[in-house]
Amino acid sequence: MIEFINVGKRYEDGHEALQNVSLSMARGEMAFLTGHSGAGKSTLLKLIMLMERADRGQIMIGNQNLARIPRRQIAYFRRHIGVVFQDHRLLFDRTVFDNVALPLDVAGTPPREIAKRVRAALDKVGLLSKENLTPIQLSGGEQQRIGIARAVVNKPPILLADEPTGNLDPELSSEIMKLFSEFNQVGVTVLIATHDLDLISRLPFRVIELSQGHIITGAKSVAGVDA
Amino acid sequence: MAPTTSKRAVKKPNSGAQLSDDKPLFGGYISNHIKTLKQTLHEQKRRPLAAFFTCSVIGIAIALPTLLALLLINIYQADLEWDGSSQITLFLTEKTATLEAAELANELQERGSISATKFIDKDKALAEFSALFELGDTLKHLEENPLPHSIIVTPAPQLDQLEKINRLKDSLVGLEQVENAQLDVVWVERLHSISTFLERSTWVLGIMLSFAVLLILGNTIRLAIENRKDEIVVLKLVGGTNAFVCRPFIYMGIFFGFGGALFALVLCTLVIAMLEAPLLELAQSYQSQFNLMGLSVESSLLILTLGSLLGWLGAWFAVRRHIDEIEPR
Repeated sequence: MIEFINVGKRYEDGHEALQNVSLSMARGEMAFLTGHSGAGKSTLLKLIMLMERADRGQIMIGNQNLARIPRRQIAYFRRHIGVVFQDHRLLFDRTVFDNVALPLDVAGTPPREIAKRVRAALDKVGLLSKENLTPIQLSGGEQQRIGIARAVVNKPPILLADEPTGNLDPELSSEIMKLFSEFNQVGVTVLIATHDLDLISRLPFRVIELSQGHIITGAKSVAGVDA
Repeated sequence: MAPTTSKRAVKKPNSGAQLSDDKPLFGGYISNHIKTLKQTLHEQKRRPLAAFFTCSVIGIAIALPTLLALLLINIYQADLEWDGSSQITLFLTEKTATLEAAELANELQERGSISATKFIDKDKALAEFSALFELGDTLKHLEENPLPHSIIVTPAPQLDQLEKINRLKDSLVGLEQVENAQLDVVWVERLHSISTFLERSTWVLGIMLSFAVLLILGNTIRLAIENRKDEIVVLKLVGGTNAFVCRPFIYMGIFFGFGGALFALVLCTLVIAMLEAPLLELAQSYQSQFNLMGLSVESSLLILTLGSLLGWLGAWFAVRRHIDEIEPR
């Protein structure tokens, strides 16, 4: 589902964020992406989201070569990827319902369908009762769950998360991780960037470790089919 | 991608989970437009004062050329009346007797190029003159009436050009009894050159102020885009196309353009109401049947359409220039 072949990314300031990265994740797999800050975790996620373009190598998502996706098609491509951010990136002037509905709104989903799917997503993260509140009225953990509901509301085949538990205490963190693994169980490919090694060690998923732009461990699927 | 079997293959989320470009459904597209429109109106309702000021600035800019155009229309209208009633005054020779003069007036009336004649007896003219200028007995001291008999000739309507009227005048001067003929055209000519000048001015002012409206709107929309940067980033991240992201700003531009045009109409109506009484008084002093023409329904609709169009254009420029700069980082 996600395939990097000798990918390199160099920023304008000369910083080599990723060098010669090869990586593959199977459909329905879940993995953690770790490494110290600046190791290239965020860059790797940004490349998948087409927030950045690779300078070298090839990235395949689904069966699509990202280099072949023109600028104006990026929006359509992103509809297949759910993203969760450390800072949630919720819109504070809109209700919880409207926040979660955004990915459906942009895709032109009919209103009735939107209501149905938003409530299903909110129910999934256990916040159905808060649909009419604004994010500011919620706790940090709840805000993150709204972010997750927004990421999965259009049932994307791929779910990315950048430090989703960065600001949360251990208990809330494991709740969030539990949610991710539940989505994974219904077939979503999940990739989570985190430096919370303690949390990772307690979970049975593959770990991809980055250091200074190189992959140190976990480049291939645990299933080993791609080897 | 090489075929891979998933480690925990269960049921697929999106049947097949194939990445493809799904286009928005038509129904969703319409409802999105309606939603954006509602949001735009709701947003302006939240900050009514800011919206009012923006609309009034644009309104004043639209009102100025509109008023000038109205002035022009009214001048043209006055001009038309003038043309319709352009008259030739024939001053007859001193030796022409009253009866002969009256006969001549009747004769002339029979001509196809003349629609009416009015004979003015010289004694009657003197009396009128005396009354008009309140001269009282002063004129009684005159030994004889210095005024000649005169005939006011109204050319036929088909003589719609100054040239034709002039030709008529020349033929009338050729008559034995006619000493002199005078055509009231100087004013018509002056009015023509004034209105040509005003027409130019209207265009120049209109174009300049349209640019001003575009700039004002562009700047307003730019600020709005700046204020909603976070929202734009999020919308782009969840797969919002540029068209989707731009839509609220385009609606905002149209709203301000329309609101400005509405404001301009109100302003013009007020100005007309204020000027009507003194203008009519002025017109009456010239014995003119002058009607001040206000804004017709058609021109009001035209101004509203033009305002909305300017709003759309201004927003479009601002959006094109700034939306691309805001990309998720």
